[in-house]
Amino acid sequence: MVLRSSAEEARRRGDRRLGTDHLLLALLYDSDSVTARALGVSLESARAASDALDRAALSAVGVKIVSLGMPEPTPAARRLPPLTSGARAVLKRAIEEARPDKTGRIEVRHFLLALLSRERPDAAAELVHAMGIDPGDVRSRLIKSAE
Amino acid sequence: MTRSPRQSRLTVMEQSELNTNIESDDPAVGLRAVGALRRLAEQVEAASVRRARERAWSWEQIGDALGVSRQSVHAKYGK
Repeated sequence: MVLRSSAEEARRRGDRRLGTDHLLLALLYDSDSVTARALGVSLESARAASDALDRAALSAVGVKIVSLGMPEPTPAARRLPPLTSGARAVLKRAIEEARPDKTGRIEVRHFLLALLSRERPDAAAELVHAMGIDPGDVRSRLIKSAE
Repeated sequence: MTRSPRQSRLTVMEQSELNTNIESDDPAVGLRAVGALRRLAEQVEAASVRRARERAWSWEQIGDALGVSRQSVHAKYGK
């Protein structure tokens, strides 16, 4: 489920690989989820923050986008795009985060815990930083909601 | 399709200005910009391919315009 939404997000943005930033955005798809509540931001505002990072980087190299409309609706994914090495590391970490739990099932919060362990310049870490989110706060809200 | 196409307007600065800016020390910024340009290219491509198809361009014509094979455009955008 998380992977499917991440793939959707990657396609929407025109990225060839599924990255940690797409995983992070996927955790915001359901605004009622434990992960969206722990992060405390909306999917729209996170997408806007990501676009703002793009715009800032482009303007630093001399390219200015005057207007950005809605992205083109793209055909549905036939298969998962290849994962970036960061995204692969996050999956591995999510499995480890899930291990101590009784069920051993990988839940969305395990993905978020794994993502929070990333450090800049990781794409998800950059996005979290750009939104002014404190990873420690998110972690504690997540742990509290699991109790 | 009632959705309005994505409109992006680019302004590229003078070459000299561009070089000065690229010399800014953070590699993360330049690398992010490359990714952003790629994303932008993908989005412009998707919009343009759709418009070309609406105007009855063949996959071969679109592929030639993009400098790729007919098969690869069709695989990416074909229904």
